[in-house]
Amino acid sequence: MSKIIVVGAGIAGLTAAIKASESGVPVNLISPDFSERSQSVMAMGGINASLNTKGENDSVKQHFEDTMNSGCWINDENAVWKLTSNAPKIISWLERLGTSFTRDEKGNVDLRYFGGQKKQRTAYAGARTGKQIVTSLVNECRKKEAEGHVKRFTPFRFVSLIFTDEKECCGVNCINENTGEIKSFTGDAVILATGGFNNLFGRTSGSIHNDGYATAKAFTQGVELANLEMIQYHPTTVKTPVKRMLITEAARGEGGKLFILKDGKPWYFMKEWYPEQAELMPRDVVSRSIYKASDAGRKEVYLDITHLDEKTIKEKLDEVYDVCMTYLNLNPIEEPIPIYPGIHYFMGGIRTDENHKTNINGLYAAGECSCQYHGANRLGGNSLLGAIHGGCIAAENAILENPQGKIISDIVSPDRYEDNRTADIMNKSMGIYRSEDELNNALMELDKINEDNALILLARACIISALERKESRGAHQRIDYPQSNEEFKKSTCVRYDGRIRVSFK
Amino acid sequence: MTAESGSRLNRGYNMNNITVKIKIDNEFKYFEYDGDLNIPVTTLLERLDWPIEYSCSCLQGLCGACAMVINSAPKLACKTFLKDEIMVTKYNQISIEPLSKFPVIKDLKVDRSVLYDAMKDCSLWLQSDARIGEDIDFEYEMSLCLMCGCCMEACPNYGIDDFVGTPVAVYASKLINQETSHDHLKELTNNYKEKFYPTCVKSIACEDICPMGISTQRAISKMNRNSVWKIWHLIR
Repeated sequence: MSKIIVVGAGIAGLTAAIKASESGVPVNLISPDFSERSQSVMAMGGINASLNTKGENDSVKQHFEDTMNSGCWINDENAVWKLTSNAPKIISWLERLGTSFTRDEKGNVDLRYFGGQKKQRTAYAGARTGKQIVTSLVNECRKKEAEGHVKRFTPFRFVSLIFTDEKECCGVNCINENTGEIKSFTGDAVILATGGFNNLFGRTSGSIHNDGYATAKAFTQGVELANLEMIQYHPTTVKTPVKRMLITEAARGEGGKLFILKDGKPWYFMKEWYPEQAELMPRDVVSRSIYKASDAGRKEVYLDITHLDEKTIKEKLDEVYDVCMTYLNLNPIEEPIPIYPGIHYFMGGIRTDENHKTNINGLYAAGECSCQYHGANRLGGNSLLGAIHGGCIAAENAILENPQGKIISDIVSPDRYEDNRTADIMNKSMGIYRSEDELNNALMELDKINEDNALILLARACIISALERKESRGAHQRIDYPQSNEEFKKSTCVRYDGRIRVSFK
Repeated sequence: MTAESGSRLNRGYNMNNITVKIKIDNEFKYFEYDGDLNIPVTTLLERLDWPIEYSCSCLQGLCGACAMVINSAPKLACKTFLKDEIMVTKYNQISIEPLSKFPVIKDLKVDRSVLYDAMKDCSLWLQSDARIGEDIDFEYEMSLCLMCGCCMEACPNYGIDDFVGTPVAVYASKLINQETSHDHLKELTNNYKEKFYPTCVKSIACEDICPMGISTQRAISKMNRNSVWKIWHLIR
């Protein structure tokens, strides 16, 4: 065993690096910036685990079922079972690493309600769960660095995969963002932990680092992708002069309500339409409801937390308070927050099996870039969990790789692409509701850009996936096929061999 | 897409013509900006008709990438609104410089890797499993550090000798709460005593400047007590 290459140093990448190095395998951890700058630090709400400390008889089975139901059963049952079974162990691992979880009165890790789950199952660290976890993982990774097991390379951004003559993945080419130098990193296996493809949609609620280029380039190099049409619109984002920013689901978990003014009075449409779970329905349902209730955004929709006590807002939701005060000039303790759904998470991505392996030998993917646990819709609190669990599983399996072929070195220069035409096309056609006409139109518009570029190819693959899934399921809603169809209770798989090929598996 | 809060965002702020001074290669370059003042400096930089390099990632004050010197004070550009800067509202100008304590890569982009090297040199990690429950609120606060470097910009002594800087004290103060390995505790406190304590002049400018509002003073005093003044316990 010579070496594992991990690309991306957010929570999934850090976990993979730590876990691989624990087995004594040297790791190169490559990222365009330090972990403090990763999108992981933006995760607010929490991490799910059926710790069952609230006297609600929670169990792995219920966490499993909620995850599968929310994902509309196109997520892999075996993988989700492993994920949900491992969740309590992950929380205790993070505790041992010193993550400062918020505690309840008994001293247990506190749990709160989150969408799509009837039990209190979401562990959190104040209002900044992602940041607190990153801090403890960075400390642990620093120890591995000092021991000589992990070597970090910053600021290197992914350019392309390197293969052997046996079509095994054995490394990556990267560009040094400060100097422009291209550097090759080779080893026995590669783990991609490069996040979602935010950039296809321009500015989303996430980090601008997660531009989707790694996924797009890997696709052109033969890596299979899946469920690209499954894009999560977070129900509550706000428009600021900078971008759409997220108002965490914890605001609703703590009791926040959604309303629209009707005849001058608040109409609590979620409570009316879904009396039991109301605002805590899964995200896809809440986003669609907002769309319908507001007549596709023509009426203002509000998230109201003014009835919560000030202490809860300032401590458990301090990020909400901060975003509203800084970017909206609005005090959420006194005024309801105008919200609308916005692009937040990509359930689809690099197709991986339950070992986090891709269709290419030696290549693994973990975290948001991998399509694995979330099916047609992700539960809030399952992304941090999926990133950590995925990092562990990918590392466990990657260290067993032993490529047989000889390395083919072909240094390629990156085909960067920055043009908001793609974003306009994607936002228009890949909204909360989609139609064949709009999707076909988008393909024609993309043709006009007429540039040989990985990201445009990825955009095409997203749209073709949406066209081929002729049903409505989770985050993918077709106006022309409003029902779900058993025939499509599968993943949409795409691969590229000069043409984009779609199949359902 | 929606009729939401467009009017709210502009409520009460005038459009204004301002002069933007940006330090590039040690010289100020001048730009004109004519538009909405209810925008942060990162958005201003995007709107200039000149490509300026700077670090950014989250654009909402969570990642620390965009720290720079704005009107002579180190700040996160994405949280610094033009309308809140006195130089802008009174004198119609703003000056933007890269952090001066780190090597400039290009324009406003600096290399802060020295901070990370220092943290490694000071053994900032846990050797044992974390002890839970000492003071979680304090540990939480210390874990908020963005590694942005604003505190180092404000520090009168950073840049002198091999001073490791405030993040070392902040992280160490959390770790000594959680560490149970006696040997590693000793290593943490010894490193602090050797590499932080002698150069820090306790100006505590770092606390005033921290964009996360971390009480660096608490971190430093905790570390001082545990690593330097502990001997008094023995004498008593």
